[in-house]
Amino acid sequence: MSASNPSLSQGSIVHAEPVPHARGGISNPILGMLLFITSEIMFFAGLFAAYFNVRANAPVWPPDEFVGKVHILPFVGPATVLLIVSSFTCQVGVRAIRRGDRTAMNRAIGVTLALGITFLVMQFIDYLSLYADGIRLDSGTFGSTYYTLTGFHGAHVLAGVIMLSVVLYRGSAGQFSERHHDAVEATSLYWHFVDVVWIALFSTLYLLPGH
Amino acid sequence: MPMPGVTRSRAAAVVALMLVAVALGACQAVDSFYPPAAVTRQGVATRDLYDIVFALAAIVFVVVEALIVYTVVRYRRRPTDIELPPQIHGNNLVEVVWTVIPTIIVGILFVLSWQVLNTVDARSAEPQQAYVRATAARFQWTFQYLDKDGKVLFESLAPELTVPAGENVHLTLQSKDVTHSFYVPQFLFKRDVIPGRENWFDFTIDPQDAGQTFRGQCAQLCGTYHASMIFSVKAVTPAEYDAFIAKGTADAQSTPAPSSATSPGASAGGPPASGVSGGPPIVVTAQNIVFTTQSIEAPANAPFTIQFENQDAGIPHNVVIHGGTSITDPPLFDGEIFSGADSRLYPIPALPAGTYLFSCKVHPNMTGTLTVK
Amino acid sequence: MATTALRPAVPVIRTGLYEWLTTTDHKKIGMMYVVNSFIFFFLGGLLALGVRSELAMPGIQFFKEAEYNQLFTMHASLMLFLFVIPMLAGFGNYVVPLQIGAPDMAFPRINALSFWMLPLGGVLMLSGFLTGSGAAANGWTSYSPLAQAKYSGIGTDLWVLAVLLIGTSSILGAINFLVTIFKMRAPGMTMFRLPIVTWTVLVTSVLVLLATPVLASALIMLFIDRNYGGHFFDPAVGGNAVLWQNIFWFYSHPAVYIMILPAMGIISEVLPVFSRKPLFGYKAFVFATAAIGALGFSVWAHHMFTTGAVYLPFFSLMTFLIAVPTGVKMFNWIATMWRGQLTFSTPMIFALGFLAEFLIGGINGAFSASVPVDFALHDTYWIVAHIHYVLFGGSVFGVFAGIYYWFPKMTGRMLNETLGKVHFVLMFVGTNLTFFPMHQLGLAGMPRRIADYSSTAGWTDLNLVATIGAFTIAFSMLPFLWNVFVSLRSGEIAGDDPWEANTLEWATTSPPPPYNFDHLPDIRSERPVFDLRHGLTGGHRLAPPPAPPTTPPSPTPSEPAPNVLVEA
Repeated sequence: MSASNPSLSQGSIVHAEPVPHARGGISNPILGMLLFITSEIMFFAGLFAAYFNVRANAPVWPPDEFVGKVHILPFVGPATVLLIVSSFTCQVGVRAIRRGDRTAMNRAIGVTLALGITFLVMQFIDYLSLYADGIRLDSGTFGSTYYTLTGFHGAHVLAGVIMLSVVLYRGSAGQFSERHHDAVEATSLYWHFVDVVWIALFSTLYLLPGH
Repeated sequence: MPMPGVTRSRAAAVVALMLVAVALGACQAVDSFYPPAAVTRQGVATRDLYDIVFALAAIVFVVVEALIVYTVVRYRRRPTDIELPPQIHGNNLVEVVWTVIPTIIVGILFVLSWQVLNTVDARSAEPQQAYVRATAARFQWTFQYLDKDGKVLFESLAPELTVPAGENVHLTLQSKDVTHSFYVPQFLFKRDVIPGRENWFDFTIDPQDAGQTFRGQCAQLCGTYHASMIFSVKAVTPAEYDAFIAKGTADAQSTPAPSSATSPGASAGGPPASGVSGGPPIVVTAQNIVFTTQSIEAPANAPFTIQFENQDAGIPHNVVIHGGTSITDPPLFDGEIFSGADSRLYPIPALPAGTYLFSCKVHPNMTGTLTVK
Repeated sequence: MATTALRPAVPVIRTGLYEWLTTTDHKKIGMMYVVNSFIFFFLGGLLALGVRSELAMPGIQFFKEAEYNQLFTMHASLMLFLFVIPMLAGFGNYVVPLQIGAPDMAFPRINALSFWMLPLGGVLMLSGFLTGSGAAANGWTSYSPLAQAKYSGIGTDLWVLAVLLIGTSSILGAINFLVTIFKMRAPGMTMFRLPIVTWTVLVTSVLVLLATPVLASALIMLFIDRNYGGHFFDPAVGGNAVLWQNIFWFYSHPAVYIMILPAMGIISEVLPVFSRKPLFGYKAFVFATAAIGALGFSVWAHHMFTTGAVYLPFFSLMTFLIAVPTGVKMFNWIATMWRGQLTFSTPMIFALGFLAEFLIGGINGAFSASVPVDFALHDTYWIVAHIHYVLFGGSVFGVFAGIYYWFPKMTGRMLNETLGKVHFVLMFVGTNLTFFPMHQLGLAGMPRRIADYSSTAGWTDLNLVATIGAFTIAFSMLPFLWNVFVSLRSGEIAGDDPWEANTLEWATTSPPPPYNFDHLPDIRSERPVFDLRHGLTGGHRLAPPPAPPTTPPSPTPSEPAPNVLVEA
């Protein structure tokens, strides 16, 4: 207690101004979104692990009663193309706002939003046809894994669609500029993630040969 | 903060006395820090390994705990300590040393463990073996004795496993419902019994333990009466074992399977009028963890009574009537669970016409059909 | 003693209820975490007393088997999901922004959201007791098929939803911590000057971020199995029972480190302060923490050695290896005290209690790394002893060290030392009385999770001792609660820095003002407040790269100190 030395304690004092956006580097919301996406990847990793485990344990895959019932056409394939395209249109929007071009951004985000909604509608129609074909959530391990994986992906697309709607609304209100558009960047990161998950899912569920 | 001298010496005396007391107690208690004496060849290997691990652990514990106590006593702050102590931030040499030494210790332990594992968890190649299958179902163990091709010679519904001492026993494990674990403390071993997967392990009981019985217990939580899922392992001489197998096989061939032997009297249900409140109750019987009464009939829209006969000694059962034909349908009636052999009268409320599933809450695999018309 | 000229903030305790319900201040949220966690700690403790009462003697006395299974399931679930994890997150919330010189967390509103999910999750989980079929009763591990709908009631659904909610809270909290630590550090606070508590919160957050979503996926699949006819985990319909165990333990083993690393951080904060020395081997400690975090993902199957379904040598080796960084920490702690000048305030004795108990929890864990020995000990009371020496002897002692250490900062008043020491002695004795005999019970073959045992099994005496110990622990909470109650009103005024501590939270008032600091001292080492008190020459080795500024004091914000915000 007696050891404190007043002559030294005057030290140099730095004014602790809050540093909301640290100089340089990535902004807080974007870093937060990247970390959130990391956790989402682990979530899907758990679902994929379950899928591959169940699949490896099954004597034949897909089970006989489901062979030829899951079709790429007419819905899933085109929907996949739409989702991939939407990732590009989303990026077009991001580049536009980086230039400060609000109109171009709003247009691109609007297109992305429309593509996302179309994907959801097409997936829903596909579900209806599968359901009519007798593939349901309780149709063995095949049905359980199929609907769980695609369903949770669909839920993420829905979340992305909501985020895009907010971005579009705020963009129309002129809330984004060349310097302030973290929400656009973060939403586009999320949208790309949703897209990449779908590519992995599509490859696994539709392209991977059975055994 | 430092203690006055007198207090310190008194404290030292107290500590010394406590150490003496602990040492005396320790001599008696030391056995309790070891698992029970192993009765299988594999268990003995595990026990030898345990002794090594325990010795190392004890040394590490004493050394580190002594270091902590010494440091605390030796380096307590004294009134003369005004200047700061030397501000040591680290020392690469000692840090490397105390990283390397534990690495070596665990490396040795790993190699030893792996070697013992190859003894404990190995398929025996001995020509003379006994083959048994243990089946776990909530909350009961049953044992099937097999020939070497896996054909069932006979089944024992009593939770007692008889095995030859001095011969290798190949025990396969299967579950009818949830995950259980086959655990015999004196084997120093357990293996989980997992539905959808056939596990196995081999063991050889020391020949001189013939005539002994060892207690075993389910070690993996399997539901409400997990604690009562007990069995025993009886070691006999090979000659006695051969006689046991011969007799069991002969008995099994001379009498039909137990379920068909006991059910005829009870399975008929009752005449349509029976069971109506005030009338004779409908009898439902459970034996060997099945409802030997598979289907019953009752009148629609009138209360009736079920007389439930639980003939399984020590095993709890009840009757649950579900609101449909699936076990996941909500219960309309949920009777008292009780252990056999005993019986209860269940008052059943009036039910609309239809088909209902009834089951045992303790054993969801036990089901039957109630037809109300 | 005062190192700053600030006036203490308006006493936070007295502000209105509305303020507390709507606050986004990390300090208030942190304190709510702590209080909320203590509520669940006491509830979980009551359940534990129920368990111990039933086991005190052979025979069924107080609780039927079905009730007993609910007791231990909910005891573990409350203690793990609603006490230890949120309690340590609460300390992190309170302390991390202060320690790195930040005004608040990166996302204050998400921070509030993370907190409010916890009481909701807790109520959801406990509401199982109000249902006809009772609360979840499958053990906190909720192994399938036992957790399937045909074997367990709606309590399990509530449990699944509650754990999902709590897990979401954890994930959001982890993101918040990581962004805060990466982005909000004050000028001069480089990564290798972060206080150890902050480092452990960082590593813990990475574990939460990577492990908890996997648990969420497993819980969702279980929920689908139970309610929508899914076929994931029930072998009767094509699923795989071992799959649940794999996914569950992929989360739950890292979760053990989530529950202990921040407690280790607290100990590493307390020991240097009360030894008047720096932490011995700061960098080694950071690397050991990171190593535990990384290895923590490769040892999950050591919970499954007896399933016969995992590759034993690999998981055995990894489990042995993870003992090494843990051992390194133990030696670092002892070396920190070595040649120091130790004073024995209550935080310090709890830290010493941590060392003594956690040592046992580390050593008895090594037994289970040896696969054949694990075959003998797995699922017996030995494992119960192990987990409680780690989580009670370790984490809970760490939590109390933290409470006694930061209570003055949080409230502006000191806790009573005498009552603190009574609390410690009772709790230390009770802990060993409760959990040490469990080693012997496990060796004698007593499986865990049994409601009853035979009087001929030879387990009666040891069980009685454990029960007496459990009530001793419960009793030790009385002096603690009285201490908090009295000290809040009439405790000695703490001042800014009552312990002569090292880290930035002691450079501001007790309690700190909103947004924490009016100005910060220079940060040139991991002990800025120590440097302020003693000067850089006070025996302190200068950090090599950033030469102390030769310019006059008070650089303006536009002249950031060297090494500002060094990104990894």
